Amino acid sequence: MISRRVPLARRALFQDRRRAGLTTAGVAAALLLVLLLQGIFDGAMRQVTAYLRSSPADVVVSQEGVRTMHMSVSALAPDTVTAVERVDGVAWAEPIRYTTTVLARGERQQLSYVIGYDPATGRAGPRHLVTGRAPRAGEIVLEEIAADRLDAHIGEQVTVLGDQFRVTGTFRGGTSIANSMAFITTDDFAARRGDTVAYILVGARPGTDPAQLARRLAGELTGVTVQTRQQFAAEEASLVQDMSADLMRIMTLVGFLIALAVIALTLFALTMAKLREHAVVKAMGGPTGRLARVVLAQAAWSVGLAVAIATVLAVGLGNLVERISPAVAIAIEPASVARVALVTLVVGALGAIVPLRRVAGVDPASAFRRAS
Amino acid sequence: MRSVPLGRRNLLADHRRLAAGVVGVGLAVMLILLLDGMWAGLRDQATLYTDRAGADLYVLQPGVRDLTAGTSTLPLSTVDTVRADPEVTWAAPVRSAYVVLELHGSKVAPQVIGSVPAQRGGVWSLAAGRAPVADDEIVPDQILADRHGLGIGDSIEVAGRRFRVVGLADHSYGFMIPYVFVTHAAVDQVAGTQGKTSVVLVGTDQPTAVGQRLRHQGLNVLTREQVAANNVHVATGIFGSPMRMMVGVGFAAGTLVIALTAYTAIVERRREYGIVKAMGATGRRLVGLAMTQTLALAGLGLVAGGLFFVAGRAVLVASRPQFTVVLTTGSLGRAALAATVMALVAAVIPASRLASVEPAAAYRSAP
Repeated sequence: MISRRVPLARRALFQDRRRAGLTTAGVAAALLLVLLLQGIFDGAMRQVTAYLRSSPADVVVSQEGVRTMHMSVSALAPDTVTAVERVDGVAWAEPIRYTTTVLARGERQQLSYVIGYDPATGRAGPRHLVTGRAPRAGEIVLEEIAADRLDAHIGEQVTVLGDQFRVTGTFRGGTSIANSMAFITTDDFAARRGDTVAYILVGARPGTDPAQLARRLAGELTGVTVQTRQQFAAEEASLVQDMSADLMRIMTLVGFLIALAVIALTLFALTMAKLREHAVVKAMGGPTGRLARVVLAQAAWSVGLAVAIATVLAVGLGNLVERISPAVAIAIEPASVARVALVTLVVGALGAIVPLRRVAGVDPASAFRRAS
Repeated sequence: MRSVPLGRRNLLADHRRLAAGVVGVGLAVMLILLLDGMWAGLRDQATLYTDRAGADLYVLQPGVRDLTAGTSTLPLSTVDTVRADPEVTWAAPVRSAYVVLELHGSKVAPQVIGSVPAQRGGVWSLAAGRAPVADDEIVPDQILADRHGLGIGDSIEVAGRRFRVVGLADHSYGFMIPYVFVTHAAVDQVAGTQGKTSVVLVGTDQPTAVGQRLRHQGLNVLTREQVAANNVHVATGIFGSPMRMMVGVGFAAGTLVIALTAYTAIVERRREYGIVKAMGATGRRLVGLAMTQTLALAGLGLVAGGLFFVAGRAVLVASRPQFTVVLTTGSLGRAALAATVMALVAAVIPASRLASVEPAAAYRSAP
């Protein structure tokens, strides 16, 4: 009998290293397509939630029906801030003004969300400045990638909301392939865009559950949407996810179809090349199931290696792209890799169907015939 | 010797292997064509508004050069300044904003276009119903409406306000972003500010002269062509890097599939190649054999890719009509070039395998 310890599948697969290399690389390239695209959208999700993830707020209040900041307009009456402060459990309420606009310096432009905040408390501003200081009247702080794109250094001017603002600092995080973030004082914002407040960041008193506070605020205020910071960030992430879902499905399907073609091609060629060995195994009493496991193990090896290589390549390419083009963040999440691995295993099993049929039909007597 | 088509015979020896290889290359070519087509579609969709709105000039907030981002804010009084010019045929304010709609549990982010009823700048083509007149009326793009089962008479919540669907707009889906149309005053309410507009559309027979005069008054005036070009610049700037990377990966996948198919065919027939070598075939002849096979595979893959693309585009347009996929002669040329380069690159590994075949292999029993 054939010992279970003879790794037939692995030996046959790796006997020809060039073929094994081409197979693994072919499947890996197809999976890379899926991983990278998912990575781009996951990276975008991280970028769009960067501001909220670093915020000290526990709860966010916005206009009724508005659950996100990105691609959204929110307008609250200025007296909403006082109404929020009166609610039991609120430690502080910080209004922010907010718009999407273009930052310009000469011919250079950067699409950006501009936030008007109170630098005295600093609660709604950037958490950590990389360089410089918080803005005063007529001043602005920029995200460092945006500052680089605009070639704007500290002390230099950029045009925002139709006026010149002096750059006083830079912070890190929040620039994506689509846009960036910048902060000016709330008074500067109000002077140019009116006194409407866009969002109110709310801090809970120690011992107050944010979810409970959100419910209380929603119950006591009218014309607003109240969410915990985590809920708000999840809404932002789901916006990116929903917008990209169709594109992801198309690219994922193409990527997996290519992977299927490569796996099917390899397993078929390998099975045909080793038919005589399979016949020998059968002639020695090896059951068909054992041979089927060989083919499936080859599929699993091909898939496993390809997923590992595609993941390493995706992480490496992600780092490379981020260095070349810092606004493009590619986040290869473990969950994405797991999903891709799972689907590719199914693809591998599909690719093994024809070889399995060939193996099942192998005549043990063919082992004793002379090869042509 | 030269008249024996070894490469072709070898390639055609196993139809199933050939089919799998051609399908693999075809899918990679389809991917490249699809991405190229979507890229061309993106450029088309980026100029949708300027192509359809019918304005000759656009007055925007100083510093703003495009409509894509919806960032411009102007005093509404700018319209009167523009209309005062004697050669302005018509001028219409348009206020736009991005909003996030919750439709059937998923988020959709359309660009809301608010125009003054009976003035230009609003819905340009109706599939059904009429343009919005009241401030609680809305006309969504037809594709958006179809996907979410919205019809005339239904209501949609936009930023906490309910709007009644009174019409469905045709040809109003930008790249990943649909348009929905409401009144100017409705956007004022959503934005929470009055007396503002985003852009003033200008119709005139003398765009150059009118543009100059308006600029002398301190207005930021751009021609339709300038705004369209800037819209394309913004859109391609956002999606350029990911698209190029996807094309690169598709190219690599196609190259590897060609190399694998040709290599497998050569390895399985190494005994025959040993005979060829024993009979005195030169290294150049063997490399030529490898190239014949990879080029043939690339050619077949190109044809298969073209067919897959046509089928894939038909499925895509039927199931996801918001994506515009444009096939141009340039796309075909680039795909053909990509397939040729894939074949040449892919020939390296099979050729090196052929070079290492020993003539003595001809006398060994097959494995």
